[in-house]
Amino acid sequence: MLKRLLFFIALQLAGAALGFSQGGPWGAVGGTFLAAWLWFGWDASNAARALAWLRRGGPSDSPHLHGTWGETVDRTCRLQRQHAQALQASEARLQTFLSAIQASPNGVLLLDSVGRIEWCNLQAAQQLGLDAQRDHLQTIGNLVRDPAFSAYLTQGDFTQDVLLSRPTSAGAPALQLAIRLYPYGDGSRLMLSRDVTQLQLAETMRRDFVANVSHEIRTPLTVLAGFIETLQTLKLSEEERAHYLDLMAQQAARMQALVQDLLTLSRLEGSPAPSRERWVAVGPLLARCEQDARALSQRVLPAGSTPHEWHFPDEAMRNAAGEIAGDEAELYSALSNLVSNAVRYTPAGGAIEMQWQVQADGSACLCVRDNGPGIAAEHLPRLTERFYRVDRGRSREHGGTGLGLAIAKHALQRHEAQLGITSALGHGSEFCVHFPAARLRPGAGSALSGGPGRKR
Amino acid sequence: MSDKHLSSQFDSELNQVSARVMELGGLVEAQIRHAVEALSQFSLNAAEQVAELERRVNAMEVEIDHQLTTIIARRQPTARDLRLLMAFSKATANLERMGDEATRMARMVRSIIDSGAVRTLPSGELHVAAELASGLLRKALDAFARLDTKAALAILKEDDRIDREFDGFVRKLITYMMEDPRTISASLDLLFLAKAIERIGDHSKNVAELIIYLVEGKDVRHTTMQDIESVVQ
Repeated sequence: MLKRLLFFIALQLAGAALGFSQGGPWGAVGGTFLAAWLWFGWDASNAARALAWLRRGGPSDSPHLHGTWGETVDRTCRLQRQHAQALQASEARLQTFLSAIQASPNGVLLLDSVGRIEWCNLQAAQQLGLDAQRDHLQTIGNLVRDPAFSAYLTQGDFTQDVLLSRPTSAGAPALQLAIRLYPYGDGSRLMLSRDVTQLQLAETMRRDFVANVSHEIRTPLTVLAGFIETLQTLKLSEEERAHYLDLMAQQAARMQALVQDLLTLSRLEGSPAPSRERWVAVGPLLARCEQDARALSQRVLPAGSTPHEWHFPDEAMRNAAGEIAGDEAELYSALSNLVSNAVRYTPAGGAIEMQWQVQADGSACLCVRDNGPGIAAEHLPRLTERFYRVDRGRSREHGGTGLGLAIAKHALQRHEAQLGITSALGHGSEFCVHFPAARLRPGAGSALSGGPGRKR
Repeated sequence: MSDKHLSSQFDSELNQVSARVMELGGLVEAQIRHAVEALSQFSLNAAEQVAELERRVNAMEVEIDHQLTTIIARRQPTARDLRLLMAFSKATANLERMGDEATRMARMVRSIIDSGAVRTLPSGELHVAAELASGLLRKALDAFARLDTKAALAILKEDDRIDREFDGFVRKLITYMMEDPRTISASLDLLFLAKAIERIGDHSKNVAELIIYLVEGKDVRHTTMQDIESVVQ
């Protein structure tokens, strides 16, 4: 301000001096007057330029001015730049927050006080069939029209989840969503949606399992109780008594088998994975399975019918089969389950084949094939579920507990092996176990008889 | 759904009634979903739920009609507001009809279960058409909420697929009836069921036409597809 005053006074003095030299004292007065107007004109033009620039509103092409107006313009420029930077920073922070919410596995939706969508992340858009841009400020109740949800919205008690099922693309099972609202701020609400399809599936499976176990245990128990009552109340001949006791023993054995299988399953689930240090020779394992199969075949086929036709690896092949890292008892129970299934379900005269193949990449396949009745395609994915039976009555009459394949699959999974099932009605079934190369090594037998070159 | 009015009370009334119409749509969707479930799993339980929802749908239709009459009497709307209210009124009627069709489906499923001919007839193929129809209704209501005429046009085109499915199904049923006259009564039930599904598709189409009427101001009922396309573009 002082500079401005000094400049003004200097200009007037200069005007006065110039006027004095031209026209004496009156000239000095006129010069001062003229200088004051001159200064005012210059200052007004500067002010007009600064104002015009401010009216244009842009920080770009600021006018080059001197003195106070110049500084005003400079400072305005600087303030504007600072504001822009602060805005950019907060915008960047907002974007970080939004992308963090985008990354959430749950659907997140922000609703305003009248229930319109203010923002939603990609998950929510997918789960609820929304479009984040187009549905901005659309009322949520118009797009998520499930009666359960609209009741939830209006009743105003948000302490519980509401469950919705959304149809997905044709054929796929419906998406199960758990949705919950959290009020915040001035009547706004945060809506979280979680995909609970798998959770509900697991819950159903657990319920089914408990129901099945109870049922499977109760059936033989009912029979036993019936016989006990008979023995208690009726006077029976020695022969009848022996017959009843026989039947009772059968039922008791069935229950024992069931409990044994359940215990095996829970042991498989509960214990740590089998070590990679212990090696099990495949040859003897296959031989044991073969013995079991032949013995079982004699037991289950009615006397006098055509025996099964066997195709098992011969001794040389067994010796060349190498070793698997893992637990012998578990592997044996898995493989013998597969073989005994083949024997049980293949009618008299049918062929049963067991094959051990080492692949080029060092992994190996154990296949059990039969030409029995086969399994319909709709049963295949569920075959290894506990107590899942293609045909209830038949399976029981074959003496199965319904847990065999579940045990096999579990035991094999623990050995990183995969169980593949292919089958078609009328064309027999094939159960293939694929062992990874990491769990295999050529055994002593194969080294003696042919060395690694035999491995093809 | 609508632009601002001088009277914010009017705005809130319009919003309220549009929310009710959408809620009715949700009820009918649920009804059809249960009816489809009843059909695909022959579940009596699901069929019962359809009948239960029907009562709510009916009550809601009456309530919405009452609200609409009140608004028209009190506000004397013109232009777009009038079209909006007309569209609401017609959509409500169409939705209620769809609810009736779903109820009919449930009734037919029940009578097929009672007749015991569940396994012998090709009911599985109806399932596809039923899914199509319920998907169509969902899209129609989504488009209505978004006032999306492009989606409405797509719905009009898609309805033909349901009609084709229906024709094919009728031909198939005839062969079944000729093969074994004992299945005729159950086949007739299935025929009515198929017809109900086809009607649901038609009603969805009506709703789609209402959207174009509401947004463009042109009534496109009973016109050719080319005319409709030129209106929407």
